[in-house]
Amino acid sequence: MNPPLSLFDRVWARHVIVANPGGEELLFVDKNLVHEGGTFLAFDQMRSEDLKVRKPKQTLAVTDHYLPSTNRATAPASIANPEIRRVVEALDRNAREFGIEHYGVHHPRQGIIHVIGPELGWTQPGLLIACCDSHTATHGALGALPIAIGQSNQLRHVLATQTIWQKKPKTLRITIDGVLPAHVTAKDVILSIIARIGIGGAVGHAVEYAGSTIRAMSVEGRMTVCNMSIEAGARIGMIAPDDTTVNYLRGRPLAPTGADWDRALAYWRTLPSHAEARFDRELILNASELAPMVSWGTSPEDASPITSNVPDPNLIVDAEKRARVKRALDYMKLAPGTPLASIAIDRVFIGSCTNARMEDLRAAAAVVKGRKAVVPAMVVPGSTTVKHEAEKEGLDRIFLAAGFEWRDASCSMCGGSNGDSLAPGQRSASTTNRNFEGRQGPGALTHIMSPAMAAAAAVTGRLADVRSL
Amino acid sequence: MQPFTVLTAVAAPVDIAKLDTGMIVPGRFQRWPRRTGHNDYAQVFLHDLRFDASEKPRAEFVLNQPAYQQAGILVTGPDFGCGSSRESAAYATLDFGVRALIGASFGDVYRGNCMQNGVITIVLPQAVVSDLMAQLNATPGVTMTVDLPRQNVVAPNGTTHAFEIDATRKERLLKGLDDVGVTLQHLPQIEAFEAQYRIDMPWIKPLN
Ligand code: SF4
Repeated sequence: MNPPLSLFDRVWARHVIVANPGGEELLFVDKNLVHEGGTFLAFDQMRSEDLKVRKPKQTLAVTDHYLPSTNRATAPASIANPEIRRVVEALDRNAREFGIEHYGVHHPRQGIIHVIGPELGWTQPGLLIACCDSHTATHGALGALPIAIGQSNQLRHVLATQTIWQKKPKTLRITIDGVLPAHVTAKDVILSIIARIGIGGAVGHAVEYAGSTIRAMSVEGRMTVCNMSIEAGARIGMIAPDDTTVNYLRGRPLAPTGADWDRALAYWRTLPSHAEARFDRELILNASELAPMVSWGTSPEDASPITSNVPDPNLIVDAEKRARVKRALDYMKLAPGTPLASIAIDRVFIGSCTNARMEDLRAAAAVVKGRKAVVPAMVVPGSTTVKHEAEKEGLDRIFLAAGFEWRDASCSMCGGSNGDSLAPGQRSASTTNRNFEGRQGPGALTHIMSPAMAAAAAVTGRLADVRSL
Repeated sequence: MQPFTVLTAVAAPVDIAKLDTGMIVPGRFQRWPRRTGHNDYAQVFLHDLRFDASEKPRAEFVLNQPAYQQAGILVTGPDFGCGSSRESAAYATLDFGVRALIGASFGDVYRGNCMQNGVITIVLPQAVVSDLMAQLNATPGVTMTVDLPRQNVVAPNGTTHAFEIDATRKERLLKGLDDVGVTLQHLPQIEAFEAQYRIDMPWIKPLN
């Protein structure tokens, strides 16, 4: 009898070509995603070595990090910073030269790499998807096996061979059961997990998120959860495909059709973890105990329910942690004991591969509707498709009427690569995944939270409990 | 990747502990292109140590001294190449003309990236490294030898120091095989796997 496998074990095993004596396995890469970031170096090196992309049709290039979020029509010519323009143009040239399909500046399906993969049905259950980005785990929300790779050596390897050497990680199942209280979202679930286990809590593990709470989530919410696996230290986060996944994928532009669809479906049904599958570690959370979260420090684990106060480092027993929190609060210019819901903010950013899909924009719009932003606020949809869909639903008008900016799809103020960044000392409420020092610009003070909570911050000018509006 | 066998070259002492990859390639050079045959990253290697804010060479920095212009080996402080995983740090090292680094410890990721690019990192005890530095400082511009087949380093004073290296890594460096080269030795298995995979999973279509 076959051993009872987990989702991760099953998909991993399906992709092993050979094993080397050192314990690494050579895995077949179904699909590879390339963005413009530092990837030009991989292409530059391949060019100098006269290396070809072995299977160009299994790679998709997407421009997202460096694209301006305004005046898109005139880009890239209008990109003022010559270095940024060069990076954007380099991917275009490299994609053409190496025969890779590219969703570039003016492509109707352009968007953030992790948003468009699933949205197009390009991401599918059971596939091994490589991408030179830390948030590749997003694709695991559909039951794909996501492998985050480096932007030069490893990317070059995937391009030249369509394979990757990996050492199999351990497994961790995080089970969340129960019904989420009102206004508690996928973002609050993952922030609660990270606050619980710490930023290194899942290092070396492939995480499977399971339980009734996850089952009840939309695919979009599941993507938010998987997206931040890396903020818990895990490079891989996966969720078993189910009816929700199937219904999400059906009819998407690049999803299988006809007889292919039936065969795919039959295979996807075999993927979920066996009831007796073994995991190296297990963690169980109760959804009903969760609350809307905000971060107060400089690591995603520095997050607490909005109803609580900035922690007092002097009460932390562990000396190393005490020193880190103290430093974080100094950087964040926050006094211990300050109620989180009293912290005034300067800006709001709703966007990023964590929270810029339709469900996110709807949640934010529901809070904003009929209210006014009292601080500068912007919405950057995760993809051009999301942007158009939101406009069809009238979400853009809700945001614009409230004084928000409504911009073009890109990573934008998530990491600031395109120049959208906070001024030093500015404090933001952001729907992004990272609040590290300087993440949104040198000296920027970032609080991460859900879209509804960010919207509540925009209309109150402070971190606010969306439930109290 | 260029094979590495025996290298005799001027060795320069870079006696700075924890010289991280951000110092090897400062962040603002992260978007530099690297054109075929131009060694573009030579300019950015250790840029802020080599040049001041007005781009004038810092005369006091070791690599700017005339004796070290042709340095092909660096003897480094502990934890050279720690910090962020930026792979450009290895490119810069190679483009600058350095093929061997000798130190008590190295950043892990940087070390792996160097080996991928034909730059060997050699770990020797700190006492030996300090002794090598002293010899280099006593005779600026003196040469040393790194002998990979024999797995030893010949100091300026003729003493040899054996070093350890993973057998696989050694073979790859000797043959000039990087990861891609090694993997493509498995090409028949890869192709057989793919052929079967396409039969078993016909709905998985590459982009059209
Ligand atoms: S939105 Fe942010 S986290 Fe996501 S890919 Fe872009 S820069 Fe990275």
